[in-house]
Amino acid sequence: MSSVPIEIKDSTVSSSKWLDAHYDPVANLYTFSSCITLADLHGDGENKLVVGDLGTGAGNMKLKVYRGTGLLSENTLLDLPTGLVSFLMDQHEPRTPAIAVASGPFIYIYKNLRPYFKFTLPTLEVNPLEQDVWNQARGDMIDPMTLKEMLEGIRDKAEIPLSVRSLRFLMLEPQEMESYVNLQKEQPIRRQTIITCIGTLKKNMADDDAVSCLVIGTESQDVYILDPEAFTILSKMSLPCVPTLMDVTGQFDVEFRIIVACRNGNIYILRRDSQKPKYCIELSSHPVGLIRMGKNVVVGCAQETMQSFTQKGKKLWTTYLPAPVTTMALLDLPTRGFQAILVALANCEVHVYRDKNVVSTIKTQDVVTSICFGRYGREDGTLIMTTKGGGLIIKILKRTAVFDDRDSISGPPIAQSIRLNVPKKTKLYVDQTMRERENAVAMHRAFQMDLSRLRLAAARAYVKALESSLTPMSASLTEPLKMNAVVQGLGPSFKLTLNIQNTAACRPVMNLAISFLYDENLYSMRTAFFKIPLLVPGLNYPIDTFVECLSDKGISDIIKVFVLREGKSTPLLTAHINMPVSEGLALS
Amino acid sequence: MGLFDKLAGWLGLKKKEVNVLCLGLDNSGKTTIINQLKPSNAQAQDIVPTIGFSIEKFKTSSLSFTVFDMSGQGREGQAIIFVIDSSDKLRMVVAKEELDTLLNHPDIKHRRIPILFFANKMDLRDALSSVKVSQLLCLENIKDKPWHICASNAVQGEGLQEGVDWLQDQIRTMRT
Repeated sequence: MSSVPIEIKDSTVSSSKWLDAHYDPVANLYTFSSCITLADLHGDGENKLVVGDLGTGAGNMKLKVYRGTGLLSENTLLDLPTGLVSFLMDQHEPRTPAIAVASGPFIYIYKNLRPYFKFTLPTLEVNPLEQDVWNQARGDMIDPMTLKEMLEGIRDKAEIPLSVRSLRFLMLEPQEMESYVNLQKEQPIRRQTIITCIGTLKKNMADDDAVSCLVIGTESQDVYILDPEAFTILSKMSLPCVPTLMDVTGQFDVEFRIIVACRNGNIYILRRDSQKPKYCIELSSHPVGLIRMGKNVVVGCAQETMQSFTQKGKKLWTTYLPAPVTTMALLDLPTRGFQAILVALANCEVHVYRDKNVVSTIKTQDVVTSICFGRYGREDGTLIMTTKGGGLIIKILKRTAVFDDRDSISGPPIAQSIRLNVPKKTKLYVDQTMRERENAVAMHRAFQMDLSRLRLAAARAYVKALESSLTPMSASLTEPLKMNAVVQGLGPSFKLTLNIQNTAACRPVMNLAISFLYDENLYSMRTAFFKIPLLVPGLNYPIDTFVECLSDKGISDIIKVFVLREGKSTPLLTAHINMPVSEGLALS
Repeated sequence: MGLFDKLAGWLGLKKKEVNVLCLGLDNSGKTTIINQLKPSNAQAQDIVPTIGFSIEKFKTSSLSFTVFDMSGQGREGQAIIFVIDSSDKLRMVVAKEELDTLLNHPDIKHRRIPILFFANKMDLRDALSSVKVSQLLCLENIKDKPWHICASNAVQGEGLQEGVDWLQDQIRTMRT
């Protein structure tokens, strides 16, 4: 009882930490946390919101910039963005950051909201066998069918996978092959990879306005670090699997760590001067969000849990969440020295976690798909969320808000205070116990006598049923059968369906017949005796017959069904069907 | 106060001293407004973000104002000027929050001091009207204090005189 007012108080306290600055349910923003960032694009001290909008399916990919509550500019993107970061690429004044949008094998760099540079990932090496085969095709030495066979051979055996061109060729219908080969054979073969995630790494200073390198993870299981000005590859590291989420910390010239969550459900930690990951954290389910808090890694898993690890892979804690995680972000307030984790859940809530404890809960109107926390406009603690339906929610943390670090599970659980539903004892019960106490011996004897009689009666009836095969379940071990009958219809015609099933493990039953016994004055059937097909074990055989009611008096009777073996007169099974009263005649 | 002082006061010869607090979020235009109210020869040319607080003085037809240009709260204020950036729609909730905190402050709560709101930066294209600003700040809920909202453009000085005139009338009616 007392828990209810506490809950109400809690929710009002937590909701009062945030001011609702803006809510636009039709902002048409479809994006994820990897494609949203805050940056001071014009160097005027006012941060803008930069969103790589994925659009609605195939088209409408846009780079949108918001200022305050309104859209400032829109650039069309050529391909689906996979990641978006803002970074300072040079020392020039004013210090306006560049926007890097990763899509496909390219990184598009925007400066001052104008296209500035396009970086293309280096191509991967092509299988020499594939190269040979295509060279032969170019010299018209082989026809498309042979080409297909040879490529299939290479695909099955070779270590280096085929290029996109060959894979596409293998998909084609025979009549399209000729033209495709003629079109493609002149161009050189290239094999390209695709960017899956992108991050930034400070080059040689830890300042906020220091120059940053781009760090990219690719589908070819590599991590590249790019020079910010020349866009040359500074470093290349390889991973055992395709990276999906990335967190980068440190400085390139001094020491850095790249934490990557991969598609195989593992987290790898890369360091300077090592081509291969040094530590590996194996998760029980796939990572959905990856956050670094100081020296620890917090991972939101697909199994509705959040786990924390040290950078050496030691597990610190696990929290069980009330709903699946949709995305995660870091809440960082350096001016107040406060760090927490924002977890968006599929039940339209965003929880703020300080270590294992929920310190605030935000209810949203829709499922949140992307979160970004930081300085927006001129306000430091701004929380920006976009929803599944394309809405934009902006909340501002109150300057007076305090997150008290109390444990969320305080006191006994509510279930403890619920009273059990124990039935009450009346006077009747007490009288009954008195009677039992006085006449215990006689009651016991009488009951034992009755029980023996009951057993006898039951055994007699059972034997009688077995002798005349009255049961719808056959008891014999050689032919285990099961039957039930269903009557459908209102009359005078009824549909009678018998469901027969052979319940043996692997022995079919043959040579069975069905016979009906009924009052010929009341009912008529087209065939009262027919054979049934071979019964395969496990399958249910519905056998339909039609029964016509002849009486117009509204009388019903029993129809008996017998399943018989050919050459034996005793039935295997019997079913009695209580026919319903025919309503059709009564009406006419 | 002697009889002569009173007489001089009524005749408007000696100006009364009034302390005013000028409050508002950062970048709302507090310093610019105060600067515009000063005589033209005392006006500063470049306005930079105020650090801490500054004290400025200006005179109107019958009163001498001492303005504390700050973003905190004080106790000696006889009037409050609250400046709002009407083009910053996003931070209107923050301004409302700050205003509520101010009005609930024990030194302010039970005193009937006039509050003048400047819906500043009216010249900007995406600025809200003063009616809209007063709606967003829920000014109609202020029942126990006289208040007035003026649309203003502090750079050009538009709307400032109207607000200060109202403030002056209020202070004079409170005195008598």
